[in-house]
Amino acid sequence: MRLTGLGMTCLAIVGITLQGGKAKPQTFQTAVKPVLTKYCISCHTGKEPPGGIDLVTLLAKDPDMKMREVWDKVATNIASSHMPPQGSPHPTAVGRKAISDWIQAKLAADCKLAEPGRVTIRRLNRDQYNNTIRDLVGVDFKPAEDFPSDDVGYGFDNIGDVLSMSPLHMEKYLAAAETIAEKAILIPRAKTVKFEGDTLKGKDSVESDNGGREMASTATAFIEPTFKQSGLYKLKIQTWGQQAGPEPCKMRIDLDGTPVGEFLVSAVQGKPQTIELPLNIRDDGKHHYSVEYTNDYYHPEDPNPNNRDRNLFVDFMEVVGPIDSHADLPESHRRIIPYAPTEPVKDARKMLTAFATKAYRRPVRVDEVDRLMKLFDLTVRGGESFERGMQLGVEAVLTSPNFLFLVEADANPKANRVVNDYELASRLSYFLWSSMPDGELMTLAAQGKLHNPATLSHETKRMLLDPKATSLADNFAGQWLQIRNLNTVAPDQDQFKDFNDQLRQSMASETKMFFMNVVRQDRPILDFIVGDYTFLNEPLAKHYGITGVSGNEFRKVNLGPGTRAGILTQASVLTVTSNPTRTSPTKRGKWILENILGTPPPPPPPGVGDLGDEKKINSAKTLRKLMEQHRNKPMCASCHSRMDPLGFGLENFDAVGEWRDKEGDTPIDSSGTLPDGRIFKGPAQLRQILMANKDGFARCLSEKLLTYALGRGVESFDKCAVDAIVKQTIAGNYKFSKLVTAIVTSDPFLKREGDKGSR
Amino acid sequence: MRIDRRTLLKGIGTAMALPALEVMLPTTAIASAMAKAKPTRMAFMFVPNGIDMAHWTPGADGMLGDLPSVLEPLSGVKSSLNVLTGLAQHNAFDLGDGPGDHARSTACWLTGVHPKKTAGADIKNGISADQVAAQHIGHLTKFPSLEIGCERGGQSGNCDSGYSCAYSSSISWRGESTPVAKEVNPRLVFERLFGNGDKSEEEKSLRRRDLFRQSILDFVMEDAHSLRGQLGGRDQHKLDEYLTAVREIENRLVNFENANQEAILTGVQRPTGVPADYGEHIRLMGDMMVLAFQADLTRVCTFMFANDGSNRSYKDIGVPEGHHDMSHHGNDPHKLEQKRRIDRFHVTQLAYVLNKMQATKELDGTLLDNSMIVYGAGISDGNRHNHDDLPILLAGKGGGTIKTGRHVNYAANTPMNNLFLSMLDRVGVPGETLGDSTGKLTGLF
Repeated sequence: MRLTGLGMTCLAIVGITLQGGKAKPQTFQTAVKPVLTKYCISCHTGKEPPGGIDLVTLLAKDPDMKMREVWDKVATNIASSHMPPQGSPHPTAVGRKAISDWIQAKLAADCKLAEPGRVTIRRLNRDQYNNTIRDLVGVDFKPAEDFPSDDVGYGFDNIGDVLSMSPLHMEKYLAAAETIAEKAILIPRAKTVKFEGDTLKGKDSVESDNGGREMASTATAFIEPTFKQSGLYKLKIQTWGQQAGPEPCKMRIDLDGTPVGEFLVSAVQGKPQTIELPLNIRDDGKHHYSVEYTNDYYHPEDPNPNNRDRNLFVDFMEVVGPIDSHADLPESHRRIIPYAPTEPVKDARKMLTAFATKAYRRPVRVDEVDRLMKLFDLTVRGGESFERGMQLGVEAVLTSPNFLFLVEADANPKANRVVNDYELASRLSYFLWSSMPDGELMTLAAQGKLHNPATLSHETKRMLLDPKATSLADNFAGQWLQIRNLNTVAPDQDQFKDFNDQLRQSMASETKMFFMNVVRQDRPILDFIVGDYTFLNEPLAKHYGITGVSGNEFRKVNLGPGTRAGILTQASVLTVTSNPTRTSPTKRGKWILENILGTPPPPPPPGVGDLGDEKKINSAKTLRKLMEQHRNKPMCASCHSRMDPLGFGLENFDAVGEWRDKEGDTPIDSSGTLPDGRIFKGPAQLRQILMANKDGFARCLSEKLLTYALGRGVESFDKCAVDAIVKQTIAGNYKFSKLVTAIVTSDPFLKREGDKGSR
Repeated sequence: MRIDRRTLLKGIGTAMALPALEVMLPTTAIASAMAKAKPTRMAFMFVPNGIDMAHWTPGADGMLGDLPSVLEPLSGVKSSLNVLTGLAQHNAFDLGDGPGDHARSTACWLTGVHPKKTAGADIKNGISADQVAAQHIGHLTKFPSLEIGCERGGQSGNCDSGYSCAYSSSISWRGESTPVAKEVNPRLVFERLFGNGDKSEEEKSLRRRDLFRQSILDFVMEDAHSLRGQLGGRDQHKLDEYLTAVREIENRLVNFENANQEAILTGVQRPTGVPADYGEHIRLMGDMMVLAFQADLTRVCTFMFANDGSNRSYKDIGVPEGHHDMSHHGNDPHKLEQKRRIDRFHVTQLAYVLNKMQATKELDGTLLDNSMIVYGAGISDGNRHNHDDLPILLAGKGGGTIKTGRHVNYAANTPMNNLFLSMLDRVGVPGETLGDSTGKLTGLF
């Protein structure tokens, strides 16, 4: 959509006409159409009209929602002096604003017809996956570190349409689910120390023919295990008797000299029994466990040869442990398996229901749990432990589309609807925390209270103050301000000797801390432009030429009136908008237009790479001269006259954001002339220029944050919602919380459009 | 249900699961249907920001004589390659969409389709040549295709003039709206191909784990199916991507045992991560590609040295400036020289890979003989952003079906897709059209 290079010579007199229109109300047909017709239509017509804007067709009807996008462009480009191009007759500033306002007002009148938009099902991106696992399972490692990158759309990596899934992803999800389940749930693996019968010691007992210990008359056998740690253990004794007489064999057991009781041993040879006793070991070291045969029976005269002699046999003894007490298991284990199971199937069902509800971020259905239980059964039937069965259930949940996607299932996909409370909880939590809803949100959702405006506003504020809100700095600010690109920049080491990884990290930290300060202190968003403070550690302070900051700890530093303020003059921003060996006023200007003013330069015309007149351009001595020549080419001028001057205002900052007065021997010229004729010099005056359009900045930030909040691009039909958000933000003194609250209470956030097919 | 599907899956690709060791030549029906002892592999290797054509295009047509400066590192394999001049990706031009050539030409490079200009909604491109091959012959190997690169996708902001970063970071497209994710860490590629080297797991527990995995896949597939009815069109499309991914892994579990690759891995060092040195990174990824081909774990590979528009600096070869910055050379001799150095550096890494393939003997020649490796860019002159006269070379003899050692000069604007058609033909993929093709590329033999 190109709006450059047009002969849109128009509107010189519109201002007067429209102002006069106050007395006599004019319609679109009488006020705007004649002017556009007279001055603009000669270029904007035909088969391939410039920028694809065919005014003949457009002017046939009043502005309406259907053509909103095009009308927006017309209004924006006239208001911003982008059109008509420099050098052509142009309207007064008042006239430009009037015609733009007229179009916008007309479009805004249609707001009640605005659609809420429909977000495509969103796969969790890498950050969301990591955070969700952290909050769901409580294992703090970053399983998504090895996942493939998430593609970026509309400047952010959480856009449903752009988050695709390859087999590679699926491999990683499966492997990650296995690792997570293994780390979270411990399989009990108590160690067993076996004392074979022939190693038992004892009084009057003898080694039996089959390798055990035989006690033919009153006799003892004992073991003396050594424990390395205290804890719960089990003593197991495999035993049987050669039975005779009126009662079975009796065995008395002493633990460290204390009798614990007499046990009946009724088992016979070939079918031994096992006696188990808990051992609570408080003192590690050597212990003494003995068994005593107490009811010897010997009647050789008995006519029944099988009833003459009673003897006790011990095959072996075992010490098992330490056995984890449930309370000693890691938190992640107890989160999923909150108590030691007593009825495995029933308990597993209960625990998997709870886990899946959290993981799917909604109540789980019975049939879903039934299928999870099949996996549990499969494991346990194969002879594996309860815990292994739970692991498999957890793996399945973590691989399910219900976990990996933020699902907003529609009973009727064609119909518009309000998102339900659980969906709203997820929208909120993935917006403000890049993670799953917490207990409080889920409870409110279960109670159906989350849509209540007061609750919503209260929850929003609570969430912004939660430590998890730092994800806004990492993921929103990191992408809005393009700080993430710091990871890959490579300033020329010869020129920028101070630049190293520590400085790179410090630059990112400064901007993130600055951002979080606005969030946590609920500062006006205008701090991003003029906030006269920042956060520095020693390396960065040195880089800035600021004294009195020592150590690697960051702290708030008041900058006072001077060259640096807001984010624009932070080294992070200045570095990511530079080339490795030099600054790029164009990139910096473009960055300001895109990320602060929200008026990205229209794309250059086709074939712009072919500069043709290269030799002349290359003879220019300075970058500024070169760029001025560049701008003299009409084809380039319309955009570069907007980008370059803004960038020149920052020329005192080199390609890594250090202050400089000269480049080589040439003094820096940091002056710029804007297309509308305003002249400024240096960063402070540049900020004044930006502050003059602070509502434009509010709109720009609103659109960016809304895009991030929704996980879809902001479309023309969102204009009314954006207007309302901007209005509420301004009315709330530009406070960050007001902006966020306005977003979460907007129609696009609370509602969901039916699927109307491709737009 | 499960048994049936898996039974069906079984046997489709089992025969080729064995490593292609010389002593273990496949003798199955499928192999004989291929009528060749060794399969033909194909790879597409991509470099960003165009190439300095003045130092790329050989002076004369026909037999390759002295190679121009950028190509010179390839002298050792000169007899195994063709430089193809005159090919174009017409659909990479703006065609009324304005700027965004880096993103557009990347997405178009292997599809020949004009990608829809969008920052996110309605991403639309075509199916890339490698994925066409993967769909036809991919079931014969454990991995239908391998996607690797040395740069992650864009991390923030606008990747290129209103195009989503999905376009500028992907040459491989499984479907119209689905780019195939690539792996950039050599260690992860290695582990994917050959396992993590943990030998403690016994065969029995491995089998049991596979059984569990299959049960999980069954479970999640049922989830996906039950979700489907409650979703709109675009959501369903995302779920289809999910299902396709699940099925591919299922196929792998059912049909491909964890074959013993020790013979191939003898003397191979496990990569430990991403090397700091870029050249080493490229070479290591190249090693992974060669290993995958050698072990017949895949026959199709795409390899992006960097994403288009990359502004990487090449300090070690005396180019501290950014690549993108230098590619807009404006005929400035200094910038042109820097660009030439970068281009030659890339080709030097290519030479490493091709030499290695040349040195890898197979029963009927070398690995390089049995391959078709396309190397080049989606932009010709980085300053002009033109997509005709593309720098393209084709290395390898395609299993003896390609005559090599030549500079073949085609008529201007010959669709690059004609080359892909001819290549697909050689791996047994039938087809007469692909994207904007006008026929098969003549003169390869």
